Amino acid sequence: MMKRMLWPLVAAALLAGCADEEFRTTDIEEIMPPLEFALTDGDGEPARAEDYRGKTTLVYFGYTQCPDVCPLTLARFASIFNELSEAERDDVQMLLISVDPERDTPEVLKRYTGAFGPAFTGLTGDKEEIDALTNRYRIAYSFEEPNERGDYIVNHSSAVFAFNAEGQPRFLVRDPHSDQDVLADLRQVIEEG
Amino acid sequence: MRKAFDYARRTALAGAFVLAGAAGAQASDLRVANARLSLLPGATPGAGYFDIVNEGASPITLTGAESEAFEAVEMHESSEHDGMAHMHGVDSIEIGPGETFSFAPRGHHLMFMGRLAPLAEGDEVEVTLDIDGEPLPVTFEVVSPVSL
Repeated sequence: MMKRMLWPLVAAALLAGCADEEFRTTDIEEIMPPLEFALTDGDGEPARAEDYRGKTTLVYFGYTQCPDVCPLTLARFASIFNELSEAERDDVQMLLISVDPERDTPEVLKRYTGAFGPAFTGLTGDKEEIDALTNRYRIAYSFEEPNERGDYIVNHSSAVFAFNAEGQPRFLVRDPHSDQDVLADLRQVIEEG
Repeated sequence: MRKAFDYARRTALAGAFVLAGAAGAQASDLRVANARLSLLPGATPGAGYFDIVNEGASPITLTGAESEAFEAVEMHESSEHDGMAHMHGVDSIEIGPGETFSFAPRGHHLMFMGRLAPLAEGDEVEVTLDIDGEPLPVTFEVVSPVSL
């Protein structure tokens, strides 16, 4: 009798648990593969996705010669990270993966991401390595014709992908998502451990 | 050197036009506010943001900008379509009488390329906007993108 009365409660608790796991941003758990890559870090050393396990990881594809959208996106996340508690902040990192490896050498990327704080890391690689990754996450990038100074614009995905500490896909942030929604989703993934 | 000469010549020419009364809008009809230059360490380009108000009775056209602190300054616009961030050059912007036009994050911005001297947060940079061939000097404050 007791057992029979408890079941609806258990079911309700389970349902509530599921509801809690819904993301306010875009859920990518079922549609994106786990984080895998073989790139080069800011010290010119090989960087593999396994090296970045253990923390909630945000991934953005951009380039350092981008004056507007890229620094604003990284700055937005720096400000969101500031809303986290110190303990939460220790469990989160953001990777800027360059789609402009010719200009984004490891040194350039290291200096650039360093400006946003210790949670930010820049990764580069050769074109094949970067293409393997952009294909994996079904994103595009393209180069415009260079100007007379040799400067060129790179069009690139504006999305930020979030993975849990095991590198499993969780959610995707686009510009219109509010900082509060991003913060809530970020906390949920950090809590997963 | 050539750049400095061009700048001096253009300034002199524009001055001559003002004296001759040939320039359309007067600089006194224009107000620029909130001029910030978002910059990161290293050789990466900066972004200039500001609001320009045309308080005059006739439209004005902004056709470019330059600064002695940078090799080149271009007007750009960022946009987003289908999840892709794009950027393209803008040749001119017309601002009607009584209108305000904003160069703002994720929209129109000045792109500052090839910095010629180190700049730090809090520094001031002189930028000359080109309005109908007339120079309009504006002081930009160097800020971190984190502050925007």
